[in-house]
Amino acid sequence: MLKVIGGFFAGVVVVGLLAYNYMGSLMFREVVSPFGEEETVARIQQNIQNVGNGWALSGLRNPGKAVEAAGGNTLPVMMIEACSTKYSGPILKDDTVRFLSILMPCKVAVYKKNDGKTYIGLMNAGLMGKMFGPMVGEIMGHVAQDQAKFILFDPSKPAPEMIKGMPGAPSGGSGASAPGGC
Amino acid sequence: MLPIRRITLSALAFSALLAGPNAFAVATKTDALAAPAPVTAVPAKPKPASTSTADHGKFKELQKNFKTGPEVTEACLICHNEAAKQVQHTKHWTWESVDPKTGQKRGKKNIINNYCTSPVSNEKDCMACHAGYGWKDSSFDFTVEKNVDCLVCHDTTATYRKLPGDAGHPVYKRTEFPKGSGKFVEAVDLRKVAQSIGKPSRTNCGACHFFGGGANGAKHGDLSSSLQHPDRYLDVHMDEKGLNFTCATCHSTSSHQISGSRYNVAAAVKGPAHVRGKEDTVNPASCQSCHGDKPHPLARLNEHTDKIACQACHIPEYARDAIGTERSWDWSQATVMGPDGKPTVRKDSAGRRAFDSKKGAWVWESYVIPDYRWFNGASKFQVIGDKIDPGKTVLINEVGGGPNDPDSRIWPTNVHRGKQPYDKVNLTLTLQHTGGEDDTALWHNYDWQKAITAGMKAGGLPYSGQYGFVNTEQTWPITHMVAPKGDALTCAQCHSVNGRLKEIKGIYMPGRGDNNKLLDAAGWIVALLTLLGVIAHGAGRIYLSNRKG
Repeated sequence: MLKVIGGFFAGVVVVGLLAYNYMGSLMFREVVSPFGEEETVARIQQNIQNVGNGWALSGLRNPGKAVEAAGGNTLPVMMIEACSTKYSGPILKDDTVRFLSILMPCKVAVYKKNDGKTYIGLMNAGLMGKMFGPMVGEIMGHVAQDQAKFILFDPSKPAPEMIKGMPGAPSGGSGASAPGGC
Repeated sequence: MLPIRRITLSALAFSALLAGPNAFAVATKTDALAAPAPVTAVPAKPKPASTSTADHGKFKELQKNFKTGPEVTEACLICHNEAAKQVQHTKHWTWESVDPKTGQKRGKKNIINNYCTSPVSNEKDCMACHAGYGWKDSSFDFTVEKNVDCLVCHDTTATYRKLPGDAGHPVYKRTEFPKGSGKFVEAVDLRKVAQSIGKPSRTNCGACHFFGGGANGAKHGDLSSSLQHPDRYLDVHMDEKGLNFTCATCHSTSSHQISGSRYNVAAAVKGPAHVRGKEDTVNPASCQSCHGDKPHPLARLNEHTDKIACQACHIPEYARDAIGTERSWDWSQATVMGPDGKPTVRKDSAGRRAFDSKKGAWVWESYVIPDYRWFNGASKFQVIGDKIDPGKTVLINEVGGGPNDPDSRIWPTNVHRGKQPYDKVNLTLTLQHTGGEDDTALWHNYDWQKAITAGMKAGGLPYSGQYGFVNTEQTWPITHMVAPKGDALTCAQCHSVNGRLKEIKGIYMPGRGDNNKLLDAAGWIVALLTLLGVIAHGAGRIYLSNRKG
């Protein structure tokens, strides 16, 4: 009996350690882009606009600019912000999960690393959603499916122009009147 | 003297009223000494607008309505009678550079690069960036002094414009540029410009050097209009709110010879910083001329300076702005028309040129991680008429140096890739006539055959009539856009398995993971033996002290 209990607790500890170790990579994904930074941003923006389900661009931020303003260097980071009222609406209406507004708008990060390659960083919306009940789990499952389409590229198509000023949010960023509604 | 004295006394009295009894006492005392008018009371004269000792606006030689650039130069030479001779010995005039070791003649006049290729047969356009007037073909006389363009470097009004097509002359009448754009460039007021000359500023140098290769930032990667008003992050020396260096602060000049050149780079300067007044031959356009070769407080970092150029760590990326730089130019795409069969242009996602039926296709990038190479300052260039092997990538220039060369350092470089035409039979890169409105100009008639035939004829080269396209590579050392010291590369950025210097051969680099296994094993054995020795020695000491006790 002692062996069974000991084995159980040992298993819990091992699983806990593994989860702790891999939590970061489970919650977020990183993929290499075949394009340069601006082109990657522009193609993702185009995909977001074409994917349907109420998705709209709500901002494009460069967190590195603040570092530059303070007199420091950072490799460029571009944060594409998008939102779908179809998905955000039910979550924002439910008081029990309203705190998840902290995850809105949906963000896709495009950045360069020291190897000179451009990377795309995404949140694992499907997995995260499952932690907050069936309603959020279902919505975030749909978000995850659409997210996968955001980064499907067709290299045969010419590079679109990067959209800097968002419609309704002329200064960029998640303007209050951004049509994404988030 | 009397009126001045009266004004002075009145001013003193007024000052005294304002300042109270003590001030009055001082004034009375000063007056009693019968000294000249007190300095404190003289109204301050406005500071001169310029630090120059001469106001060129007052010279009668410049009070003329100049019609042409050469007329202005003639006026300049009345006083500066040696200036033109000096300029005529510089690369800005000859567009030629001679390798001091091999005697090879390089320079724009002699090489075919993988940007716009060559000025030969395109002089009318290219000479918009020549410090001279009238170089429109091979008949240009390099000895005529009045053809030296003083204003292009010394204008302080930022209104002096030279456009492609005018063989280096400034805009004499209001001109639509580019043609058909509806935008106009105003005629230069030569009188005003001549009267407003001064030391070269970033604007003067940048007018050509920021736009080399036909677009902002295209050519060098570490030079673009972003350096016109840079912040500390972009260039710690040129930071407009900080040190505010101009180009000439480093590229100091003597007899119009400007120090620093990509043809002869001071790649491995040794010794301490330059001391004013002490004669030395160190290139002033080098980091070491101010910082010396042991600039770090940490000796460990100074140990790097005999192998690593300062720029390798202190320019972590180049083209650090949205302007970016051109990474490749594919000339084989030139003459390809749009879907409607007409010439077309396309921009990339950041709004930079990506395709033009006239010129081909480009790829741009911002925040570029440099390619690191051994470099001893000398480059062997492919010059006009040199044979090539079209089966390989043609190196427009081969940067010299290696790990065993004491004059070599590891440098950050910008490698620009090209695909450009060559003669399939004679195996030479071709010259092509691109600019102009004539029937043989590529950008007018979109006919490669005519363009190459005209270009080769102008350059005096044989042409078989068969052309193809070959891959080329041109390497530029990176030396501008120096970041603040806090942004220099960290140890791990090089000393790691996939670090910045992973392609550098011939040196032992801890942490890179590709070191000699035997050497590493020997190192570990020595370290282990040392540890064992220390333990054994310590144990022995403890044992002996216990025995004695």
